[in-house]
Amino acid sequence: MDEKGVFLADIRTALGYTKEETRDMEQCPAVFADVDDSLILDRIQYRTHVEKQALLQILQDNGEQLRLEVHPVSSLDAAAETIVAIIKSTKPEFSTARQIIQHDHPDLIELGLWKRMAGEAVHVHTAYSNDSEVREKSVESFIGITVPRWAVAESATVVQITGPGRPRSTSLLPSVHIALIRLEHVLADLTEVYALLGDEPPKESFVFITGSSKTADIEAHMVHGAHGPRQTHLVVIDELMVQKTTPLKGSGIFASAEI
Amino acid sequence: MKRTKEPTYSQDAQKALENHVLQSSLKKLQNRFGKGVMEYWAAKDDDELRDRVKRRRMSTIENLDVVLSLLADNVQKAGGHVYFAKTGSDAVKYCLRVAQKNEVKTVVKGKSMLSAEIGVDKALEQQGVEVVETDLGEFIIQLAGDAPSHIIAPCIHLNRQQIGKLFQEKLGIDYTDDPPELTRAARGALRRKMIDADMGITGCNFACAETGKISLVSNEGNIRMATTMPRIHLALMGIERIAATMQEHQGMLQLLTRGAALQKLSTYVSFVGGPKSEGDPDGPEEFHLVLVDNGRSKILGDPEFREVLACLRCGACLNICPVYGRIGGHAYHSPYPGPIGAVVSPLLFGMNQHADLCKGESLCGACLDICPVKIDLPRMLLALRHKLAYGDAKWQARQHKPSEAFAFKLYRLIISNSMFYRLALRCARLLQKPFMGKSGMIGKMMGPGARWTNDRDLPPLAREPFNRRWKKKHSRNQKRNNEVNHG
Repeated sequence: MDEKGVFLADIRTALGYTKEETRDMEQCPAVFADVDDSLILDRIQYRTHVEKQALLQILQDNGEQLRLEVHPVSSLDAAAETIVAIIKSTKPEFSTARQIIQHDHPDLIELGLWKRMAGEAVHVHTAYSNDSEVREKSVESFIGITVPRWAVAESATVVQITGPGRPRSTSLLPSVHIALIRLEHVLADLTEVYALLGDEPPKESFVFITGSSKTADIEAHMVHGAHGPRQTHLVVIDELMVQKTTPLKGSGIFASAEI
Repeated sequence: MKRTKEPTYSQDAQKALENHVLQSSLKKLQNRFGKGVMEYWAAKDDDELRDRVKRRRMSTIENLDVVLSLLADNVQKAGGHVYFAKTGSDAVKYCLRVAQKNEVKTVVKGKSMLSAEIGVDKALEQQGVEVVETDLGEFIIQLAGDAPSHIIAPCIHLNRQQIGKLFQEKLGIDYTDDPPELTRAARGALRRKMIDADMGITGCNFACAETGKISLVSNEGNIRMATTMPRIHLALMGIERIAATMQEHQGMLQLLTRGAALQKLSTYVSFVGGPKSEGDPDGPEEFHLVLVDNGRSKILGDPEFREVLACLRCGACLNICPVYGRIGGHAYHSPYPGPIGAVVSPLLFGMNQHADLCKGESLCGACLDICPVKIDLPRMLLALRHKLAYGDAKWQARQHKPSEAFAFKLYRLIISNSMFYRLALRCARLLQKPFMGKSGMIGKMMGPGARWTNDRDLPPLAREPFNRRWKKKHSRNQKRNNEVNHG
C-alpha cells in the first residue's frame, strides 16, 4: 500500500471498517447529496429591477459599517466620473508615483481611465495576461480596480473569481480597492452565491471580500488597513436608475480624502 | 509538544490572576463576544442551522476516508501536491524537504494553530530559514518571544503600551501607543516581507472535498498575501477540517465567523488550491497540501470523543468560559487553550501530561451553550476525569494520582461505617482547633491540606454535629407538641 493507502486505512480502521475495505462516494451518497437549489437560481433569474434596487439599498447600508462605500451610478460614464473623483482625492501610501492597476475587463477598458487621467500624471495599468510586469505594477499601484463577479447585499461582500487578466493582488496590494459592478450582479445573500458557484465549472481561485482590511489585535481597537486595502469602494451601475442631478454630492467620496 | 521544566498549570494560573492587563482584556473580550454570541443565538428564531451543520459535520467525519480521498484527488487534478502526514514530525520533515528543494530563504506565515502543534517554525529556523508571522497579533507575539494566549486574539495579554515599547525596540520606530499607528508600522514592516517571501505557510479553515479547494478566513488580508505573493504555498490541514460539499461549507463558514467575532463574514475568505495557471501574475507556482493526522484518527476511533472533531475552531468557548476568563491561555500549555483545549490537548498530546486541564474546568456547561455546533465539552471533560481517575489502557492514561485514589478508598470506608465516621469527626474537630483564626474560620492548613486554604478560608466543622442538633431540637419540639396536645 502506498503512503495515501496506509493513511486512509488507519482512518477506515478508526471508523470500524477493515483496512482492506476501500470505500468510495457510492457508499455514502448522503454525504455528497446537495439540496436542490433550482428555486434559488430561479429567484435570482426572475428578480425584478425594483427588487434589485432594494438589494442595492441594503448593500449600501451594510457596507457603511465595514468601510465599503457604495456608489450607485446610472451609466459607465458616471461610473468613470466617480472613479476619477476617488483617484483625485487619494494620496499614494507606499510610493510617490501615482499608479493604478485595473483588471482586464471590457467595462474597465470602456471607462478609458488613462484618457481621463492624462493631465493628472497618473499611470493606469491593465493586468493583461501577456504582460510579465503586472506583479511589479501592482506592487507600485495605490489603487486597484476590479470587476467582481457578484456583490452580496446581506453581508456587503464582493465575490471575485480570479485568474489570468484578473489577478488576486489587484484587490489586495493597493491601498484603495475600487470594484465596479452592474446591478444585475447584485445578489441577496451568500446562499445565492454558493448556488451560482455550484452551477458553474470549477474555478482556479476565488475570494469573498467583505469591506476593508482590518484588525483588532491591539486592545480590541478596530483599525482599518492591516495588510490589505484601507478603503474599498463599490461602484454599481444601474442603467435604469433615474439620473440624480448631483450624483457626486453627498456620496461620501471625499470623506476618504485623508486616508 | 515537548515540555521541559515549565511552570505548572496552577503556577501559570496564579500568574495570570495577578496580571491586571490580562484580567481587564479578558473581561472586555468575554463581555463583548461571549455575551454577544449568546444573545445572537437566543435572538434567532430557530436553531436549525446549528443543528444541521452539526449533523452534516458528523456524517462527513464518519466518512472521512472517502471525503479525504476525494479532496486529495481533486487537489492533484488541479496540479497541487498532497502529502499524507501520519505524525507531526512527518509533516515537519515534508515542509523542510519542500523548503530545501526550492531553496527557500524566507517563509511568511498565516496564523495556524496546527503549525504550532507540530512545531514547524522552529524546525525551519534551525535550517536557517527566516520565518515571519504575518497576523498582527502573532507578529507581536513573535517579536516579544512570547506564546499566543487566545485562538483569535493571540496577544490579548499585552496592552498598547507594552506593544509600543516592543515596536520601539524591535522595529526602531518612535514610541507610540496609538493602535492605528502601531498597526501602520507593522503594515509597513510586513508588506515587503510578504511580497518578497519565497514560501507561504498557512493553515486551513475548511477544505471542500468536491471542489478540491481549501478556504482561508482572515480580517487582515495577511493570509491572502501569504497565499498570493510567494512562489510556493504550503497549507497544513488537520484531517477533520473538511466539508464534503460547498453547501456544507457555507453553513460551517457562517457559524465560524459568527461564533468567532459576531461577524456575518470575515473580510477575506479565499478559496485556493493548486498552482496558478499560465498568464496569471499571482498565486503560487507550487501548491502543497499537507494532511496531518497526528493523533486525530485515534480520536476518531473513540466514539466517546469523536464529537470533538466537529469543532470549527472559532474560539467561542474561550469567550464564555469562567475558567479561561480568569487564567487566560498560557496556563493551558497548548496551542489549543480554553475548554476546547482542555479536551483536545489531552487527547492529542497525552492525558497525563495535560491532566490538570480537565480538572481545572468548572463543568458549568457554558461552553456547550455557546458552541455553534453544540459540542458537549462538559461530557468529555468528565470522561477524561474518569480515565485519569481509573487509568485507561487504550489512551495510555495512568491513574493520575494514586494517593488521591487511596484517599477516596479510605473515605469510602469511613463514611460507610458510623463508628468510624463519628470517630473521624471527633478527631477532626480536635485537630482543627490550632488552625482556627480569630474569625473562627480555618485560614491555614498544612501539608496536602494547604492548597485548600491558599486562596480562601474554610468554615470549621461544627462543634456539634447536625444529627445531634436535629435530635435535640426535634425532641424539644416533640415535648412542646405533647404539651400542646395535652394542654
